[in-house]
Amino acid sequence: MTFDFVEPVIFALLSIGVIAGGVAVVMLSRITAAALLMAFTFLCMAGMFVLLGAETIALFQVLIYVGAITVLILYGVMFTKFGDRPRALFFQRQTPLAAVFVAAVAIPVAIIGLSFTSATSRPGGGDLVALATSVFTDFAFPFEIASVLLLAAMVGAIVLTKREDPEEAALRRRR
Amino acid sequence: MPVGPFGIDPLIWAPLRLVIAVGLALFLVLNGALLQIYLERKIQAIIQDRLGPYHVGPFGLLQTFADALKLISKEDVRAQATDGWFFVAAPALVFCPMLASWVVLPFAQDIVGANLNVGLLYLTTLGSMTVLGIVIAGWASNNKYALVGGLRSAGQLISYEIPQILALVSVALVVGSLSMIDITRSQAGPLVNVLILPFSFVIYFIAALAETNRTPFDLPEAESELVAGWLTEYSGMRWGTMLALSEYGNVTVVCAIVTTLWFGGWQGPGVEAIPLLGVLWFTLKVYAFIVVMMWIRATLPRLRIDQLMSFCWKGLIPMALLNIVVVAVLALAFPTTKVPIAVASWLLLVVFVAGIPFVQRRRLRTLRARARAATAPAVRAAS
Amino acid sequence: MTVPLGAYIVVSAALFFIGCAGVLVRRNAVVILMCVELMLNAANLALVAFSRKYGSIDERGSVFVIFVFVIAAAEVAVGLGIILSAYRNRPVVDVDEIHQMRG
Repeated sequence: MTFDFVEPVIFALLSIGVIAGGVAVVMLSRITAAALLMAFTFLCMAGMFVLLGAETIALFQVLIYVGAITVLILYGVMFTKFGDRPRALFFQRQTPLAAVFVAAVAIPVAIIGLSFTSATSRPGGGDLVALATSVFTDFAFPFEIASVLLLAAMVGAIVLTKREDPEEAALRRRR
Repeated sequence: MPVGPFGIDPLIWAPLRLVIAVGLALFLVLNGALLQIYLERKIQAIIQDRLGPYHVGPFGLLQTFADALKLISKEDVRAQATDGWFFVAAPALVFCPMLASWVVLPFAQDIVGANLNVGLLYLTTLGSMTVLGIVIAGWASNNKYALVGGLRSAGQLISYEIPQILALVSVALVVGSLSMIDITRSQAGPLVNVLILPFSFVIYFIAALAETNRTPFDLPEAESELVAGWLTEYSGMRWGTMLALSEYGNVTVVCAIVTTLWFGGWQGPGVEAIPLLGVLWFTLKVYAFIVVMMWIRATLPRLRIDQLMSFCWKGLIPMALLNIVVVAVLALAFPTTKVPIAVASWLLLVVFVAGIPFVQRRRLRTLRARARAATAPAVRAAS
Repeated sequence: MTVPLGAYIVVSAALFFIGCAGVLVRRNAVVILMCVELMLNAANLALVAFSRKYGSIDERGSVFVIFVFVIAAAEVAVGLGIILSAYRNRPVVDVDEIHQMRG
């Protein structure tokens, strides 16, 4: 008895999860539900990374996308609360045009994608050491740039959203 | 055909092992929560000069069983305005990551669900997933106390995750592995990591208190301010799953991480001869830290939300970053000995502990001056 | 029997275009942000899959995924900041109605 069928089955389940979650994010009118399903999509994606043998990437995926980005987006949803929209205002006016455009690009890409028929390789032992070595040797400079980008984004987000404390503003004016 | 342990095909053994691990974890979580609630009540009682539970069973040992039975048999109450599926899903979202993190806890040499080579990262990841469930619970309750509690909790958990992870990084730097088994193996003998890295242990323990919503960081469920925070609308076994099981499960996981990373995990006298003794040592160490957490809960008052945030962002995170830089530089400079790292870490710890009162006093003084300046014109106008 | 590379690429492309359609079609700014995240994630899958197939031993493709994570986190923080500050001026999150920046 062999267990070769397990991997394709898991892959099929995960890809159904990814695509269904993605479609739901676009189609659902309740934004909290959309955000949760986005988290579900990210989790399925992490499963795919595990299937590809990239566990470190999968764990970072869950840590960053589910643990941080989804929570941030839920924060955003809660701060910008508004009533249910009428159905007519759900989509933008450019919807038919967008559908044509997306289909026109997606179909060739899918055909090209299907032409890769070779199997993916799964080296054992995980990808942690290789990944770390690459990041801290060949990609050390981009890594530093990325850290500066993160810092700039953090400062930018604080500046954009910080409401000025009226008490403090009054104090500064007096000075 | 290759034969794995117990003469079972390794391909079957791998999933079977996982199933056994999850089953055992579930068993341990359920019973651990019962035991810890009893311990918590007894220890609180002793510290506060009370008796604690003593009616049900000998020494009140069966009290928490009775409570659990009561919770299970309770009517399933759901307020009308709650948000359907989310309300039901939130306890599961809090519970599942906690349960999954038990898989990599090394109870003894060979008693571990899965020896991931990224075990530490796995635990951090699952710890960060709890936030999602709490935010959803706060949102779905459709209740302002719950929402405020949920948002507070999200802010707190995301903030304290940073010093927590930074503290783990310094251990990974010294040990050179993220696997829980390897980290424990590296601490054979009396030289456990806490002697080398006491500062990152202190940072981790403080952050872990906040991460598990324990006093003095239990603002998300501060009953005197927020009724019960994000738990307000929950009752019966949903409340039981969220609070009792998940909270105590998380406390156990965090204490297990502390034990493994800084106190040598299953290592202890006699483990070489009888490997199964490791389970005993591990459990004893874990429960020692759980008792410390309960002691802290009975001792310290709750922080205010701005104090909590400023302590994290202005105190813990800079110190944790400094700690990483110091450890990394010393580990590179002295690859053969760990003495410089230990000296530096103890020095940092002394500076941190001694420095807090001074910084706090200066902060209080400026706060008071600002308050006086803000009220002064109003007083003048009134008189 | 293992899963061919093309299957991963097709899933990645599908998710990318779902996200792309969402960005073009939806009005709510927060949902648009979510769809951008989906697109970034789809790119991650393609990167990891190609890295597994054609990459050398040092995981170069996966390194880019780490950078994509950084970009995604920065993007969502700044994006939500912009949405919140726009919302504070006028309580709308419809991208069609946020046009006060127009000259």
